[in-house]
Amino acid sequence: MTIPPDLYGRRSRDRFVIAASALFSGLYRLRTLRTPTLPPVRPVDRSMRLVVQAVTQVAEEVVSLTLAAPDGRLLPAWQPGSHLDLHLPSGRRRQYSLCGDPSDLGTYRIAVRRLPDGGGGSLEVHGLSEGTVLKVQGPRNAFPFIPRKRYLFIAGGIGITPILPMVKAAEKLGADWHLIYTGRTRATLPFLDELPDQRVTIRTDDTDGIPTSDFLLASATPGTAVHVCGPSPMIDAIRAALPADATLHYERFAPAPITDGKPFEVELKSSGRVLQIPATRSALDVIKEEKPDVAYSCRQGFCGTCKTRILSGAADDRAPSDPAGDNTMLICVSRATQGRLTLDL
Amino acid sequence: MTAQLGEPDNLVLQARDVRFDWSAVPLHWIPGDPVATHLINVLHMLLPAGEEWFVRVFKEAVPLIEDDDLREDVLGFIGQEAMHASSHDAVLDHFMEQGLDVRPFVRQVEFLFESMLGDRGLTGDRRRAWLNERISLIAAIEHFTGVLGDWILNATALDEAGADPMMLDLLRWHGAEEVEHRHVAHELFMHLDGRYPARLRAMAETVTALVSLWQRGHRYLMAADPIVKGRIKGGVRHIRRTGRAGLTPEGRMVAASIRRYTRRDYSPLNEGSTEQALAYLATSPAAQAALR
Repeated sequence: MTIPPDLYGRRSRDRFVIAASALFSGLYRLRTLRTPTLPPVRPVDRSMRLVVQAVTQVAEEVVSLTLAAPDGRLLPAWQPGSHLDLHLPSGRRRQYSLCGDPSDLGTYRIAVRRLPDGGGGSLEVHGLSEGTVLKVQGPRNAFPFIPRKRYLFIAGGIGITPILPMVKAAEKLGADWHLIYTGRTRATLPFLDELPDQRVTIRTDDTDGIPTSDFLLASATPGTAVHVCGPSPMIDAIRAALPADATLHYERFAPAPITDGKPFEVELKSSGRVLQIPATRSALDVIKEEKPDVAYSCRQGFCGTCKTRILSGAADDRAPSDPAGDNTMLICVSRATQGRLTLDL
Repeated sequence: MTAQLGEPDNLVLQARDVRFDWSAVPLHWIPGDPVATHLINVLHMLLPAGEEWFVRVFKEAVPLIEDDDLREDVLGFIGQEAMHASSHDAVLDHFMEQGLDVRPFVRQVEFLFESMLGDRGLTGDRRRAWLNERISLIAAIEHFTGVLGDWILNATALDEAGADPMMLDLLRWHGAEEVEHRHVAHELFMHLDGRYPARLRAMAETVTALVSLWQRGHRYLMAADPIVKGRIKGGVRHIRRTGRAGLTPEGRMVAASIRRYTRRDYSPLNEGSTEQALAYLATSPAAQAALR
């Protein structure tokens, strides 16, 4: 890049920039006369080994796990909305919200619904027995709970897990709150016995039908902080119907499911490896397994971090911030129009 | 209420898909005060090129990180910075539409970040050393973005002066995310290098660069402004007045924060409040719209 012109059109090369550039480069050259010394990078392992202390059936198809340090030492503190990253014996990694008492630093509690058609993680958790030792990372918080005067909590089924500690915190804060807890039947709803009698509405599909967004948001008066956790259609319905003067809070860590995805192939230029991208997964997801240091961030196609040059093939550029026809694609959402893509990775 | 919940900790950093509509924002968005308006506007000219540079440097650093939590933080940081860069870029287009040609200054800022601080085509240890050096500069700059973020969240004088709400929301959304991720660049530097003299040198270079960029940028804006037409000469000396009025940060406040940075036990977490940042993001019109 050449020295830019003067700010006021007086010269074609700005004198200040010339001087600053010369000074900076001079200092840099002076310092690089010495061979650089690089301090070693010390690997940091923040994972813990926790032992499954208890497996308890807390509702139909739902078990809760109590985890503790094998030597009984105190665990890192957490706040409502936090989750743990569990490394299951099969190698699967799953994130589960903490649903116990944040003031109990001796144990963590999570709860998991059995999903026979899921990715297998929940079945594996249901098969765990007391005494199993798991590698655990966290707690981390993707759903922070902040002091507000008025809350509306909406939990769909197992979505109660992050909401339960929030409800208890709101009660402790003396806030004005209301919880709507929905599910298929009463027997499938965990932790009913831990909820206060007042301020809670239980609604189940078998007796009351599927709730409408009007019903869920009836008490979302101006200034209410609406905290939602549940299946994505429920969150979408609430997003569409939320009054403008209430605020919405939900956990955003999962990218939206892929719609009309077709399988395709990705060839990586650096290694020549060809990866198969199934219809239900993003290119980023699969590439990350092959190249764990690939850069990405939002995973929803707006931040542009994962923009990658296409060397051959065509992408559907499905994200709004992924302009068509520029020979790049956002690998977190965009897919091949057909066949194979060769990427500059 | 605050004491009972405690400062939120271990947050997962995520970019927010914000959008702003600049069409109704006046050129002097602090009404009747072009001097203070342009002192803040210098930021709009520095940030797109600056934050895109952060993103490039941090992407290069990702493979070197040997700490899972820090890697996640850095990836979240990159996405947030990318959104900041593109949002401020849109403000520059709006300035152009209103007859304020910012291109000459922006070209110089781009030269700074793309050429002087860009990739030098190095290999091996020299490449690593140059990467560490740029990370030390980003850590120093991020100290200021955190301090400024904390300042803007508390700058009630801007509301009282009738500052444009859309512009305030951009600055406060950005400021709140800067507070939210204020520890990341420092922790990355401490993880990959951590040497105290390098931190001091980076801070000295950053202060020198920022003071001259602000001086030149403000002078330029005051001269190029189609309404002011150079009748008031720009320069950082104006912050004596605007700082006292609460329309910009005060020199003393910034100087005190630099002294804190030079301490060996400096922690960005002691600057600003995560809880306040999250409280703003929970009600920010742009951040809320991104969730709907």
